Amino acid sequence: MVRPPTQPFSPVLLVLAGLGALFFVLPLAGLAVQMPWRSTLQILADPGVRTALELSLVASLASTALACLLGVPLAWVLARLRFPGRELLRGVAILPMVLPPVVGGVALLLAFGRRGLVGGPVATATGFGLPFTTPGVIVAETFVAMPFLVITVEAGLRSMDVRFEEAARTLGASRWTVLRRVTLPVIRPSLVAGAVLAWSRALGEFGATITFAGNFPGTTQTVPLAIYIDLDSGRLPVAVVLSLLMIVVSLAVMVALRGRYLGDG
Amino acid sequence: MAALLGPNGAGKTTILRALAGLVPLAEGRVVLDGRVLEDPARRLRVPPERRPVGMVFQDYLLFPHLSALENVAFGLRARGVGRAPARRAAAEWLARLGLGTQAEVRPARLSGGQQQRVALARALAIDPRLLLLDEPLSALDVSIRAEVRRDLRRRLRDFTGVSLLVTHDPLEAIALADRLVVIEGGRVVQAGTPAEVTRHPRSPYVADLVGVNLLRGRMHENVIEVEGGGRLQVARAGDGEVLAVVPPSSVSLWRSRPFGSPRNVWSGHVSGLDWLGDRARVRVSGRPSLVAEVTPAAVAELGLVEGMEVWVSVKATEVREYPA
Repeated sequence: MVRPPTQPFSPVLLVLAGLGALFFVLPLAGLAVQMPWRSTLQILADPGVRTALELSLVASLASTALACLLGVPLAWVLARLRFPGRELLRGVAILPMVLPPVVGGVALLLAFGRRGLVGGPVATATGFGLPFTTPGVIVAETFVAMPFLVITVEAGLRSMDVRFEEAARTLGASRWTVLRRVTLPVIRPSLVAGAVLAWSRALGEFGATITFAGNFPGTTQTVPLAIYIDLDSGRLPVAVVLSLLMIVVSLAVMVALRGRYLGDG
Repeated sequence: MAALLGPNGAGKTTILRALAGLVPLAEGRVVLDGRVLEDPARRLRVPPERRPVGMVFQDYLLFPHLSALENVAFGLRARGVGRAPARRAAAEWLARLGLGTQAEVRPARLSGGQQQRVALARALAIDPRLLLLDEPLSALDVSIRAEVRRDLRRRLRDFTGVSLLVTHDPLEAIALADRLVVIEGGRVVQAGTPAEVTRHPRSPYVADLVGVNLLRGRMHENVIEVEGGGRLQVARAGDGEVLAVVPPSSVSLWRSRPFGSPRNVWSGHVSGLDWLGDRARVRVSGRPSLVAEVTPAAVAELGLVEGMEVWVSVKATEVREYPA
């Protein structure tokens, strides 16, 4: 038997690594300790809580769908076309990943608000305004979530062998057929990973949503907003239950993506 | 079938891609069966999906997410054939190529030779008038190449359109094609039947590439009865139709009958002398006829002139034979 060589290590490194791990574990433990296990079901059955949960689910799924609809073509343009300003466009498209979400919310207000660049004329003409509506929540969530989809799908398109598309064209497939029957199926892992990442980002969205769509129970108050308000107004058990629920969802996403779509984990 | 033969980077694959419509022409024309497919001067260009051209790619490029059957059916489906008839036709193609039982298997689970046949079926299923084959054997293990090459030749015998093969392997070209086009640096340097090109290479490059002695014959144990007379002893034993390759540089010429280790010794007449830079290619008519490559100094010493009698020797170990 040959024993695998042991890494030489320094105790200082181990202590710091241990502290780093604790830093992640302790907050979770804090939540778990405060978890009102007995009244969990009761809390989840509360109409206000259920409304927030439903809204979060609907809005995050809708924004994932919107992100796919707009983000896949955008990723395709970034990956396949060569044009001046492409780098700039990519920068703009993934900027929301690093932008403070509250800034995103302000920017959305100034673009799509009732007095915004586009929102103003639309509001004048039709009386419709996005802010403080459920579609407004979807827009805010899409704004912060879509970059994850774009960047993942673009990477998938770039690493794909484009000669598969050429092979399909020599077989008589139109560009549209090629996209539908070859390109998208071949990059499916990237597409799924991007959509799941975008969805989980949309689900957790707070800053842009509260700035652009406000905090109205039933129309714009998603779970993260509800957690914040519950905590602020002394309903700690409700905040804890909802927080743990979000953690469970995030963990599930990580486990589902691990290995299959995010490298070998 | 015609074969485009040339070194890597000579532009062979680019020609195929241009014929398939995957890269636009800057000048020139593509005409197939009298129909102009591309003519930049007249701003005419039929897109790849509307050309009657099938292509077998070097690494096959079978769609990884589709089964063998779906791969073959793809072209028909893309051309508007209904799902059921397309699948039926694809199943027939697979059966014809001996892959009937592999229809539902994904490409990743097929062997190289099977993938090549699926790729061929996929290209032929759309009933092309022009079939392009880009190094169809190069992705295969050397040990099965000869077998697949024979198989490919048999499959293509029934194909009624024009086929064009691209390869850097002279043997592959000679075995599969009845017309060779040699290109070098993007230009045609020589074209003709395999026999013409091998007999009269027009540049040192072509000589190196195809200027080998290629003999067809029938092998029994370790002797090949050469078509047109003569016999060659080889190192290994075998049976059946073979192609034997004798590199001209391994052929020795003598003024009188040599006695030594070479197993193959016969006499003939010098029927031609070509000078290629620092080498002379001496054609010797005999049983069999061969080309020998010797130095100018040897030509002078032996006093080689056309018509004179010479003795030829070839070591059995220098002869490479392949199943034909």
